[in-house]
Amino acid sequence: MTRSRIALALIAVVALLAVPWVVTDAYTRHLFIIAFIYAMIASNWDLSLGYSGLFNFGHLAFFGVGVYTAAILARTVGISPWLAIPAGGVTAALAALIIAAPVARLQGIYVVLVTFAFGQLCLQLVLSQSQITGGAEGMVRIPYLQIGDYRFIRDYNLSYYYVALGLLGLSTAFLLTLVHSPFGKSLRAVRDNPDYAASRGISVARQRTLALMLSAIFTGVAGGFYAIYLRVASPDVFGFATLSLALSMVLIGGVGSILGPIFAAIALTFINETMAGIRGMEDARFIVVAVAMILVLRLLPGGTKDMLDRLMPKHRTRKLETKEGG
Amino acid sequence: MTETLIATIVSGLLLGALYALMASGLSLVWTTLGVFNFAHGALMMLGAFVAWTVCEPMGLGLIPGIVAGVAASALAGIVIEYLVVRPFYGNRAMLLITVMTTLAAMIILESGAQIIWGARLKQLPPLLEGNVSIFGAVVSRHEALIIVIAPLVLLALWRFTVSTRVGRSLRAVGLNQDAAALIGINVPRAFSLAFGLSAGLAGLTGALLGSIRFITPSLGSEPLLKAMIVVIFGGLGSLGASAGAAFVIGMVEAFLVFSLGLYWTPSVLFVLLIVVLVFRPNGLFGRAGA
Repeated sequence: MTRSRIALALIAVVALLAVPWVVTDAYTRHLFIIAFIYAMIASNWDLSLGYSGLFNFGHLAFFGVGVYTAAILARTVGISPWLAIPAGGVTAALAALIIAAPVARLQGIYVVLVTFAFGQLCLQLVLSQSQITGGAEGMVRIPYLQIGDYRFIRDYNLSYYYVALGLLGLSTAFLLTLVHSPFGKSLRAVRDNPDYAASRGISVARQRTLALMLSAIFTGVAGGFYAIYLRVASPDVFGFATLSLALSMVLIGGVGSILGPIFAAIALTFINETMAGIRGMEDARFIVVAVAMILVLRLLPGGTKDMLDRLMPKHRTRKLETKEGG
Repeated sequence: MTETLIATIVSGLLLGALYALMASGLSLVWTTLGVFNFAHGALMMLGAFVAWTVCEPMGLGLIPGIVAGVAASALAGIVIEYLVVRPFYGNRAMLLITVMTTLAAMIILESGAQIIWGARLKQLPPLLEGNVSIFGAVVSRHEALIIVIAPLVLLALWRFTVSTRVGRSLRAVGLNQDAAALIGINVPRAFSLAFGLSAGLAGLTGALLGSIRFITPSLGSEPLLKAMIVVIFGGLGSLGASAGAAFVIGMVEAFLVFSLGLYWTPSVLFVLLIVVLVFRPNGLFGRAGA
């Protein structure tokens, strides 16, 4: 990182810390909180999709597993919501381990199909096990966060804002450390040239499994926080609408970048929620997001499409040490 | 006991027939263009809605409805190919890009159906009224008809790709686009044809399914998921493997529903899928794909 980029990052962090003191209404703070949650989903997704070149389309399943873990633990089992949130990260990583068993050995379209089918089967499982998950109606009245007598639902989302921002900060630090570490370099080596990486002693299957599990941790935590914050767990989290919104964040923010999807997530959440507030746009906004996704793929050949190009292996001349796109 | 067994087998045949119709459309597009069409389930839903609109509110009858449904789906398929698949030919990341663009097309179709037709449940009348008894197991005539129609349609599709000039041109394009172009095959037209044919099959499946299930904007999601499991098992490489795998999955599902109940069946099916993939990464029939 250059000095100017560090300065820019510092300014962004200070600005985000100061937001709740400028924005005092609960709804705008709520939008920021949702944006931070999507930012965690999108940036973690890019660890598997962009950095590892894994065509993972089941990423939202990790989020959903986190949502339902926290909801069931806090509401049904009755453990503290403070523990239920990180528990979402643990179960999401376990879900990633299950899906990694076949995915680490598959290629191309079959990775897409298995991960996608996994997400849809999580949905069917949630719908069918209604005595545990609430089925299509979901779960409501999930316990909220509190410290002593201080209840987080009474301060116009001020404390929830800082919890969400704190989680996003942790997740981003985790991801940036990962992608700049030797492990992150080995992920890109596996992506750019699996044969060469294997010949240098990198286990492709092991790195892919780890990448999936690591990308699931903070996605599951984000899911856990989502359930505790909204106090609702609904099967919608597995739906195509959530999937396409998160995917468009990764695409617009730039595949193969951590900070790009975070900024895109914040911008797109505000656009999406604004559209949801307009009468008659409730269903049409999904069409807008889908059309935007197609347009991004068609009109931004320099950015996104080149990045997608890089996800395809077997570029013999590529140096493994490419400059970071973040 | 034998009646339950036969009823389970018949229900497996019905599921297999529906999955085979779905999976063969996916396989046709895959072998010709190297594209996996995520909008396939939504095209099926479109066929069912258009068939319902022509049949019920317009009152023109079921057969014209099914014809209109097939035509509307085929047309929508050609439009999808032209708008969101064709611009990316020759791109190295085409496989990944078209997954995303056809996913977007699916969302546009499903949200559009939600806006046009609303969420109220709709259903088509059956093609044939009444029930028929097969070795003591009672099934509706409509379901029996699907079990008969599906293999005939698949056989016709297979004959078309093997022994007609146009059908063979599709396979030639799938094998080598440049060589196909050199011997005078119109490659872009072959792409449109493959997409239109596959979408028409989806529309037919939807119109047939519309008499058995309620027609909703998400009608195609569950069959698409099952068709995906079928092509993961059987590979996308050939019509025969897809159709064979469809009947295997349909039969397995019917027996799982019979022994474990409806609720656990999807999970067990998925666990079976993972186990098969861990030991046979190229699918049950061992065909190397992508």
